[in-house]
Amino acid sequence: MAVLAGVGVVAGARGAEADPCTGVVAATTMYAGGRFATCFDPGNRLVVDAGTDGVGGAILLRHIIHFADEPDLEWKMEHVLLDASYDEFTSSFTGTLYQGVFIRHSRDGHIVLPFGDPPAKVFLPFDVGALVEVGGLAWRDSANADLGVVKTAALIDVARSKDNRLRIAIGPVASWDMALTRMPDLAIEEQLVAPFSSGLLDFHAESNNGLDVAKLRVETGYVWSNTRGWLAATRAEASLERTVLSVNDRPVSLVVDARYDSALSETTAGVALRLALMQRTDPRVQKLDADDN
Amino acid sequence: MRATRLAALAAISILMPATAARVARADNRLGPMMDPDRPVICARDTAGLEWRIQCDDTAKVCVYAPSVELDVDGERIDKSLERARECSLDDSFDRAAMQARGFQMVPGRADAPYGWTRDERGRVFQINFDLKRRMYFGAAYSPEKVTDNPLASQRTSIDFGLLVYETLHRGRAPTRHRLRLLEGEVHLQPYDAQVTLLHYDVSHRYFDPLIRITTFVGEPARHDLHLNLGGWTEVGGLEIHATPFGNSQLYKHATAEATFDLWQSRDLESYARIRTGMGLEGQYDDVNGYRSALSADSAFEMDWTLDKQGFHNIKLELADELPRYFQPIPGTATVAPSKTGFSERMRAKLQYEGIVLAINDQPVTLKLAAGGEKRNDLPGVPDVWAFVVDAGLRFNLWAPPHPRS
Repeated sequence: MAVLAGVGVVAGARGAEADPCTGVVAATTMYAGGRFATCFDPGNRLVVDAGTDGVGGAILLRHIIHFADEPDLEWKMEHVLLDASYDEFTSSFTGTLYQGVFIRHSRDGHIVLPFGDPPAKVFLPFDVGALVEVGGLAWRDSANADLGVVKTAALIDVARSKDNRLRIAIGPVASWDMALTRMPDLAIEEQLVAPFSSGLLDFHAESNNGLDVAKLRVETGYVWSNTRGWLAATRAEASLERTVLSVNDRPVSLVVDARYDSALSETTAGVALRLALMQRTDPRVQKLDADDN
Repeated sequence: MRATRLAALAAISILMPATAARVARADNRLGPMMDPDRPVICARDTAGLEWRIQCDDTAKVCVYAPSVELDVDGERIDKSLERARECSLDDSFDRAAMQARGFQMVPGRADAPYGWTRDERGRVFQINFDLKRRMYFGAAYSPEKVTDNPLASQRTSIDFGLLVYETLHRGRAPTRHRLRLLEGEVHLQPYDAQVTLLHYDVSHRYFDPLIRITTFVGEPARHDLHLNLGGWTEVGGLEIHATPFGNSQLYKHATAEATFDLWQSRDLESYARIRTGMGLEGQYDDVNGYRSALSADSAFEMDWTLDKQGFHNIKLELADELPRYFQPIPGTATVAPSKTGFSERMRAKLQYEGIVLAINDQPVTLKLAAGGEKRNDLPGVPDVWAFVVDAGLRFNLWAPPHPRS
């Protein structure tokens, strides 16, 4: 019964509104006055996924670095740690040790040419930043695996959002990957390097209450292989996440995603249920155990 | 324009009637800038507009500037000055009284912290950078073996450093810690790559000399000999090289060395030093399989920041590595490094890196490098010097202002 009481139907929560992010159970029910969160922070949580692509999980962290002497400058930092999924049926695995997106949001974008006194300055309408991925590993069968050593991208973010809810970033990509053979011995089969010869589009948008999250990442360009020379390569991944309910104020969401990989010449789609095992309570949510009386 | 400036000057007085709010726009020359280390006062004119004022009692000059940014026409806009010091309103400021005391009122630019400046509209931007605190990634063009045939093996490369961080503990015996996280480079055609997961080294300047020698030839004189020792370590190194017999992978598990600084700059940012120590490594190739070794490593290296603003940086490294394998190496003389189980790797690298521009205060640097390598641990690769030059650009993130020396 206690568990039942903790299940708040987030979408269309019924009850009086304490504030935009805190719901209150209506007086007509036996749980009158109980509070529940209606806003969530999808960037700060430990999640587990279960779906058509198997089971997985990740640690998501994000924060904003402010500066006392420059209130209009901030660094928006996003980190994803130990992002992994495993499909028992196909024995396939995909994982990334660390992925970070760092965006420097300033009031004015500009280029400084260090010539003259003071140096020349040209103003530009975007923020700058970077994407970093370290330690990617994936296999689809027992004979081969792909190792992503490092990937970096210089980003310009034209959305210029002050928070982490919207990002429309593009930039050139440098990456270093290895194709491995796992049998009979682990060995490097092929080296794949993109010396900023690929481009990346990274789109991230989420609703103000954190219930809806949309992501799109497209990476396309040329990759150099030490065995096959220059190759055209395109990867795309899109996902939509909708939080449909919460259990003890931990959100449970439905994730629909689609992926395309030109190297495999395949497009796949999946559906998963995502549960936040641990999360940072959205600061807009009133303290849920506060006593109204 | 002159009349406009005078009008603005007149506006800086709480005792005078309001005048036009239009602000003096600098003519071709920018006005003087307020000193960030000296006090600034804020005062309102009779129109209620706020000004920043800094007076120099010695030079008898007061520099004044609007307390907000200006638009292209020199009109005030609703944007407070970024990175300007806090100043409290001082309603007692009296321009007429100051002029009577001999002060000259000069239109100028508001203060900005060290490492930053302002344009004529009050907009702030960074003008020096600390490349010892940054994240970077870049691409370069690297023709190889320029002595043989400059067109034979042109190639490009990428390099990256997830975190470069140095910190100085000042004091009479200063210490500088240097940390590098996931730093490496990858060359195409022919392929080779190297990456180091973690690098840490520390430099120290000892307050007391190791030995002091007094000479008594002529006037007695004292000569101090300092032994500035430090440490150097790397963990998780990987090198991959293409050979005629497939890829060779060198895993540098851990290396620890002692450093002896021959020369140090005052802030220890620049140095010339010798380092020597041991490393544990393993190497895999299709000819010899996997073999572990203890490597005796030595190097002379120099890191020199040429200017106080940190715009120009030179690095030099001359290194020698002598891995001794735990097992004798079978094979022919051309494949096996040595019948005694030793190999030798020598490399020399000279690099210049300079800042060419900054995008949103994040510097873009030009890297020019020349290097050579001679080694006999790669099967089928001739044991002769091979030379590489690099020219490329690096995009840097963070890079706060270079510390004052």
